[in-house]
Amino acid sequence: MNATQATPGRRARRNKRARGGSRVGGILAGLALAGAAIAAQVYALTPNEIDAPLTAAGSMGDEVDAWRFSVKADSVTTAKAVQTDAKTVPAEQFFLVVGLSATSAKEPTNIARPTLLTADGNSYTVTDKVDTSRLITRPFVQPGFWIGGYAVFEVPADALEGARIVLRLPGGGSFVEPYSPEAEIDLGIDEAKAKQLSSSPQDVYSLKRS
Amino acid sequence: MTEPSGEPSKPKRPVVVPALGLVALTALGIIALLGGLKEVPDTVPQLAKGAVLDQGRYKTQFLDAVYHVEQDLRFVDLTFKVTNQGQDTTLLGLPPTKWESAFTGQNFADSIVRITPAVKTRSGPLLFVTSKAGETRQLHPNVPATVTLRFKLDGQDPPPAKLTLDVAGFEYEPGFNDPTSHWSIISDEEDDKFFPEVKAQVTLPVTAKESA
Repeated sequence: MNATQATPGRRARRNKRARGGSRVGGILAGLALAGAAIAAQVYALTPNEIDAPLTAAGSMGDEVDAWRFSVKADSVTTAKAVQTDAKTVPAEQFFLVVGLSATSAKEPTNIARPTLLTADGNSYTVTDKVDTSRLITRPFVQPGFWIGGYAVFEVPADALEGARIVLRLPGGGSFVEPYSPEAEIDLGIDEAKAKQLSSSPQDVYSLKRS
Repeated sequence: MTEPSGEPSKPKRPVVVPALGLVALTALGIIALLGGLKEVPDTVPQLAKGAVLDQGRYKTQFLDAVYHVEQDLRFVDLTFKVTNQGQDTTLLGLPPTKWESAFTGQNFADSIVRITPAVKTRSGPLLFVTSKAGETRQLHPNVPATVTLRFKLDGQDPPPAKLTLDVAGFEYEPGFNDPTSHWSIISDEEDDKFFPEVKAQVTLPVTAKESA
């Protein structure tokens, strides 16, 4: 009985609201909200983006702190051949040699093979032609001091402009760590620098221990 | 026995049902003439030497198959011109030992799912890119590379006259149990097992090269 007694009151209230001319406004507001919700989907991350590492970005010469390790890109140059202790390795066109140094925050670690991320989204792994003895992937990186090493890429000339080097820690085999840290360093190669690097590589870049 | 009301008007001639029956019979006849309702077997495109195949992740030209002898060691070299059409550097990998196990592959070699006749080799095949610096095993995005698949022949059997490669393709799709997209071999499911789908069969005649 209480329910039936309450009904007229509610209906009156509802009528009052409808008579207020706000029904059209309500529909419009609803449509706008629904539209905004749909439009917001363009910001939704794809599964690949959700699983991507957390990136610490920086530019040439900066100490880029990627939480568990820090890296610094000291130099960028190109060469027609790279000389290591073992032998001199010729490139098809040229090698891009990036001088790096790294340190670790807490635990000794290695740096995984670096990749070069180009402006158009291609990613080149370091070349397997050059012996690993002086590469950044070789030594253990330990807390407390910086250790130097190189990354040698072989990329087409049009990949140079806007290229960034990406450094990560080695993955744990089949166990994929969510949000693993990575450092991304902009090598600061503009159009003029790209032209200069690709057109006049030095003859031999020596990675020999002196 | 019939109802009295039905008597006066003459019953309509039943036309629709026999007509439908005739149509159905004719259709059945035509289907039977065309070979019945059995599934048409997929025809795999046959390619010859020099053909280019778009495998999705890679664009591959099948150059040749050469038999050569070096210091009493006998080799059959298959050469390809491969362009990585993906966005990442990949490794060459090695051809699968059993074609059923190829479907998990991501690398170029995994797409060569079967070679007939099987080349007898104890040491297993070698796969490499030739470059100025010697052999490498990387395929960089958008950089065409000459890839050699080398078999060292056992014993003294003559080399096969020709080799037929069953080549699969790749697709950029989410995996079976993870939603992230990655390249994998296009495969068919049959009785809960996955088999690579052969995209093309390439037949290369094996030519002999005089030893240097």
